[in-house]
Amino acid sequence: MKIPNYKLFIAVPILLLLLSAGILITQYNQTGEWFQRSIELKGGTLITINTVERLDTAGIENELRKKFAPVNVRETRSFEGYGTLIETSSEADADEIIGEIEAMGVETADISIETIGPSLGLAFWSQAQLAIITAFIFMGIIVFVIFRTFVPSVAVIMSAMSDIVITLGFMQVFGIELSLAGLAALLMLIGYSVDTDIMLTSRLLRESEEKTLGEKIRRALKTGLTMTLTSIAALTALLLSSISPVLSQIAMVLLMGLVIDIMNTWLMNSVILKWYCERRGLI
Amino acid sequence: MLKYWRLWLLLIMVIGAALAIVLKPHYSGVQIAYVYETSPAKGLLEQGMIISQVNGERVYNADQWMGLARDYTGNVTLTVDRKDYRFYVNESGLGIDVMDIETMNLDFGLDIKGGTRIILQPKENASGEMIDQIISTLQTRANIYGLREVRFFPIKSLDGQYFVQIEAAGLGREVVTELLSRQGNFEAKISKPVFLSGGKGNFQLGENTYPVELIGNRTVRLGNLTLETNQTFEMDDIEFEYVNATETGNELFFLGTAYKGEDIELVYSDPQHSGVIPRGQFFSFYFGILVSERGAERFAKITSGVPSQMDLQSGDYYLKDSEIFLYLDERLVSSLRIASTLGGKIYTTPQIEGSRETKEEASKEKLNLQTILRSGALPVSLETVSVGVISPTLGKGFVTSAIYAALFAAVAVIIVVFIRYRKIGVSIPLVFIGLSEIIIILGIAATNDWMVWASVLALNALLIGTAWWKKHEVDVLAWTGALLIPILGMLTWTIDLPAIGGIIAAIGVGVDNMIVIADETLSKSGTERKILYTIKDKIKRAFFIIFGSASTTIAAMVPLMSLGVGLVRGFAITTIIGVLVGILITRPAYARIVEIGTDREKT
Repeated sequence: MKIPNYKLFIAVPILLLLLSAGILITQYNQTGEWFQRSIELKGGTLITINTVERLDTAGIENELRKKFAPVNVRETRSFEGYGTLIETSSEADADEIIGEIEAMGVETADISIETIGPSLGLAFWSQAQLAIITAFIFMGIIVFVIFRTFVPSVAVIMSAMSDIVITLGFMQVFGIELSLAGLAALLMLIGYSVDTDIMLTSRLLRESEEKTLGEKIRRALKTGLTMTLTSIAALTALLLSSISPVLSQIAMVLLMGLVIDIMNTWLMNSVILKWYCERRGLI
Repeated sequence: MLKYWRLWLLLIMVIGAALAIVLKPHYSGVQIAYVYETSPAKGLLEQGMIISQVNGERVYNADQWMGLARDYTGNVTLTVDRKDYRFYVNESGLGIDVMDIETMNLDFGLDIKGGTRIILQPKENASGEMIDQIISTLQTRANIYGLREVRFFPIKSLDGQYFVQIEAAGLGREVVTELLSRQGNFEAKISKPVFLSGGKGNFQLGENTYPVELIGNRTVRLGNLTLETNQTFEMDDIEFEYVNATETGNELFFLGTAYKGEDIELVYSDPQHSGVIPRGQFFSFYFGILVSERGAERFAKITSGVPSQMDLQSGDYYLKDSEIFLYLDERLVSSLRIASTLGGKIYTTPQIEGSRETKEEASKEKLNLQTILRSGALPVSLETVSVGVISPTLGKGFVTSAIYAALFAAVAVIIVVFIRYRKIGVSIPLVFIGLSEIIIILGIAATNDWMVWASVLALNALLIGTAWWKKHEVDVLAWTGALLIPILGMLTWTIDLPAIGGIIAAIGVGVDNMIVIADETLSKSGTERKILYTIKDKIKRAFFIIFGSASTTIAAMVPLMSLGVGLVRGFAITTIIGVLVGILITRPAYARIVEIGTDREKT
């Protein structure tokens, strides 16, 4: 199979990267925040009511808005029924809100309350940012140590970075707030992303049985897709089981990230590597 | 058989880990969660002991215990750790709380078993030492109060701010606000009246007397001091406040501090010095404290020279217009009249009193105050910055659902891998190894497992030693794993939701790596059939890729762990341990399985 203008493939991931960056920048201009954070990372109160029956979220929201200023009510599916998430500021009295909900005739036996003060949320957030940055720097150093060549290493790092930026962009579109669990998923994504990239790079740059570059790439693609698809299969199973919101968020973010990673690895990283190998005459 | 020593190694580890998870000294009975002060078993039985029989009848769970022990009076025989204990139970009950024995040696996080997580922040900048002191004071409070299974951790943020995280299985928020986050600054102040005639009087402090004169509307001159209302001053090493003067100008009120927290030498809780009694519609609680000699001297000085007055209802004599006010964190706890016989005397055993609407509330407040006074004050006051109450019902079905989810995911992976290779021999071992990795990770996290892991270490050393002696190949990786993983096995950490996420991450990376191994070794490129590389070379190449990916994953996790974002630390630890188990134990074993498979195909 001969692909004449393989370099054009790179346009797709680049366009998506620019689009995602655009989304994040627009968000920043509008709200002063690069992306939506969950209460863990900005402070607030989250009340989760688990019920067998579905609750009227809009009704609860309207009722609570009368007394408590910023209230946001959402619904999730949980393993044994429905979860209703009520988010409000950390100053609001959670007991009062629960009293209000009980007055509406809602069964509140299975309830969880989480309050994070703004200062603590901020502390978590600054730690989270540092965690991402340090993880990236560490990862970059290790990639350089492994390959000891500039272009392939940069391609691996770029692809991981692009994975994260595009995933964050998609999270905004789908309205997924970044939580500590989501952060963990993003860091995990770095690992998965680098996994396939390292496999691809070492297959292409090291000697092997295949004669042609195309054959090497094709075989790497087969391995890489199997790797990513098994992860996607396992994560889909986890998401469908929906045993807990924390795990569902990890699964959700990772699933998006892995699909994006397929694109970034095989339309960007492989193209850069192929071009690099051709230039250096490594066929 | 020694040829397959890497597989034996894996088998030993999996069995060891499984034992570390399930091996327990007891399988039936109930665990003592708390022994009350009033219990006849107090001092004999302790928290954590296992009660296996009640009057010769086996107990299996806490519900059954409730049926047997609630409202029980008379003689009872409890079999605890194979020994019989006999008690006589009066109407106040047996006073022992129990809980079900955990079926596994795993320490599940609050987000799984339910409970309360609270984060407190010092109101002013606190040093690491202060945080240690805060935690030790809080720990003392928790112990005295009888809180079960409460854990305290320091958290440090990037800008050097400290937080204290408290986790407890069943902890109401009121316990935090009323007991833990109170600073506990105790002060006993005594109001001292000075009676004037013609605008002049005497301010008596023990043997010293200072002239007082009203010089303005409310302004007074005391000795050489000029005082406005609510002004504080110090006299004979006692802190005073000039509070006010009466309209008529013939009486002045001062407030002197007699005792502070550091003056408290003992807090009484025995029935002679403390108790709760009904008083009218309310319930009063009282308990005595023993104060230091210096505090008692201050009491004597402040109350000297105060005249007595008869209480018309009871006929007893009290000091006129003089009361003792007890404050905790500037909140008035109780105010008491002072018997005239105590005026000017050294008085070391004042009593603290208060009242509440119900008996329970009164007992609780009494215990709160006793606890705080006994533990002493915190170096700084604390503010609650985060409260999380996690419903325990989330926990009930969790383990079962998690097992279903894991099996579901395993089936999904089997299907994908089978579609790709069309070989059961590749996909089944892959999933089997993935599952054994879960068991090993959980076994490492398990509690009280050092004996199991020490045995595993010994067995592993024996195995690799014999294999080496029998001239089997040198494999530094697997050797490191054989020795390092059992040592890591002695670690214990909490399995919370982030940790489960970590297991998923590690297994995901593991499956990816095994696919690399399978693809490298099973590679038969379409055109070139000539074998350029041996299986060993191919596996070596696969391990280059695996090393790369493992080290980047670990690198991404290390910041999460060391930054102390306490809530996701479990995730980082689990992922790192999982990846290590993978590259050191399970991947070498899988490579061996694939090798065996290809060897068979060739022959």
